[in-house]
Amino acid sequence: MSPIIKRRGDKFTLPSKYLLFILTIVCTGMIVITFNTSLFTGPLNSFTGIFIVPFQKGITTVGTFLKQSGDRLSSITQLLSENEQLKEQIDELTIANTNLEQEKYELTELRELYALDAQYENYKKTGARIIAKDAGNWYYSFVIDKGSDDGIAVDMNVIAGAGLVGRVMDVGPDWAKVQSIIADNSSVSGMVLSSSDNLIVSGDLELYSQGLINFSKLVDEADKVKVGDKIVTSNISDKYLPGILIGYISTLDDDSNNLTKSGTLTPAVDFEHMNVVLVILEQKKDTNQ
Amino acid sequence: MNIRRVLTNFILIILSFIVQTTVFRVLDFGDIAPNLLMILTSATAFIKGDRQGLICGFFCGLLVDVFFGTYIGFFALIYMYIGFVVGKFHEIFYTQNIAIPIVIITISDFVFGFVCYVLMFLFRTKFNLGYYMMNVIIPEMVYTAIVAILYYPLILRINNDIDEKEEKEAKKFV
Repeated sequence: MSPIIKRRGDKFTLPSKYLLFILTIVCTGMIVITFNTSLFTGPLNSFTGIFIVPFQKGITTVGTFLKQSGDRLSSITQLLSENEQLKEQIDELTIANTNLEQEKYELTELRELYALDAQYENYKKTGARIIAKDAGNWYYSFVIDKGSDDGIAVDMNVIAGAGLVGRVMDVGPDWAKVQSIIADNSSVSGMVLSSSDNLIVSGDLELYSQGLINFSKLVDEADKVKVGDKIVTSNISDKYLPGILIGYISTLDDDSNNLTKSGTLTPAVDFEHMNVVLVILEQKKDTNQ
Repeated sequence: MNIRRVLTNFILIILSFIVQTTVFRVLDFGDIAPNLLMILTSATAFIKGDRQGLICGFFCGLLVDVFFGTYIGFFALIYMYIGFVVGKFHEIFYTQNIAIPIVIITISDFVFGFVCYVLMFLFRTKFNLGYYMMNVIIPEMVYTAIVAILYYPLILRINNDIDEKEEKEAKKFV
C-alpha cells in the first residue's frame, strides 16, 4: 500500500497534511500570479457578482431602511426642541448669508483668475451606494453597487459630498471595490492649494480613530503653508484628477532633515457616516489626451 | 464528504461572509467588526478535524481575497493554516463542551490578528504594536468571542444533524 494514499472503504482519500501542502503551493502560486498579472480577476469577479453582491445589496437596503425608520421615531422629540433653536439660527444665518453673497462674487472672480477650468463639478459622475465594507479591521475599503456595466473602470476617482474618498481598485459586472484614502495602505499625491507645494497624503490606522490622515514630504521653503490650508489632489498624480479637495491641514511639523515638513490633515469627507458616493467617470489618462 | 455537507458548508461560508460585511459593519463597536469567518473556520476544524478545517479555511480566505485582498491567496493561506492547526485539537477535546471551543476560537482570532499585523504592518515598518493591539487585535478578539458564544452552538447543531442523517443513510444500505 502506498504511504501517500490511504485506503478508507472503497474510496481513496488524501491525508490532510498532503492536502495542506498542495493547497499551500496553490495559494503561493496565486499570490505570485496576482502580484504580477491580473489573470484571475475576470472570472472570479463574475462569480462573486452572481453569488454575493445581490445579497449584500438586499441586506444593506433593508438595514438602511430599518435604521432610518428607527431614527425617525426617536428624533420626533428632538425635533421640537431643535425647532426653537433653528428659528434663532435663521436670524443669524440671514446676516451671514448677506456676507457670503458678497464673498461669492469675489470667489467667482478669483476662480476666473485662477482659471480652474477643470473644476470637478464639470466631470461626468454617477452615484453609487455602499453595500459592504472590508471583512477585516485593518484596511478601509468598501464595495459599491455599480460596476463595469455602468461604465466604471479601475482607477476611476470616487468622491462624496465635497471631497475625495478614494479610487476604484477592482471592478466586476455590477460591483466595484473602492480603496479609500484613509486606508493604511493608500497614498495620494496632493498639493497645497494656496502655494501649489506638492506633498504625499497617506492613510494611517493609528490616526484613523481621531479622524485624521497623515501627510509628508511637503517642501515649503518660504514657510507659506499654515494650519487650515486646503489640500487638493496634485497635477502630477497619475491616478487622481487634479484639484479634488482632500482636506485641511490640522497640524504641521518640521521634519528632522529640515528640508521637508509633515503633519496631519482632516479629510473633507465624513468617512464614518458615508452611504452614497459619486464615481467620476473620467480618468486622468483620458483627460490628458 | 457527501453533497449535503459540501452544500451546507458552502451556504454557511457565504452567509457568514455576507453578514460580516454588511450587518456587523452596522453593528460595530468603535469600527471593529467580529470575524465570523474565523469562527466558522475554527468551529468546523474543531468539530470535524483538520481536513475539513483546512478546506473550510481555504474557501473562507479565498472569498475575503477576491473581495478585499490585494493578492489572491494571501488570506486563504492564513485561514487555511489556522483551520489545520485547530483541527489537531479535534482528537483531544470533546466538541459538546462550549468553553473549550470558545477559548480556541478566541485564541485563533488573536493569532489571525497578530499574523495580519506582522505581514501587513510590521513589514511596512509600523512598529507601534501596542496601539494596534489595543485598538484592533484585542477588541476584534473580544467581539468575536462574544459572537462565537451564539454562533458556535449553531454550527455544532448543523454538523450534528448532518452526521445523524449520514448515519441513517449508512444504516439503510447495510
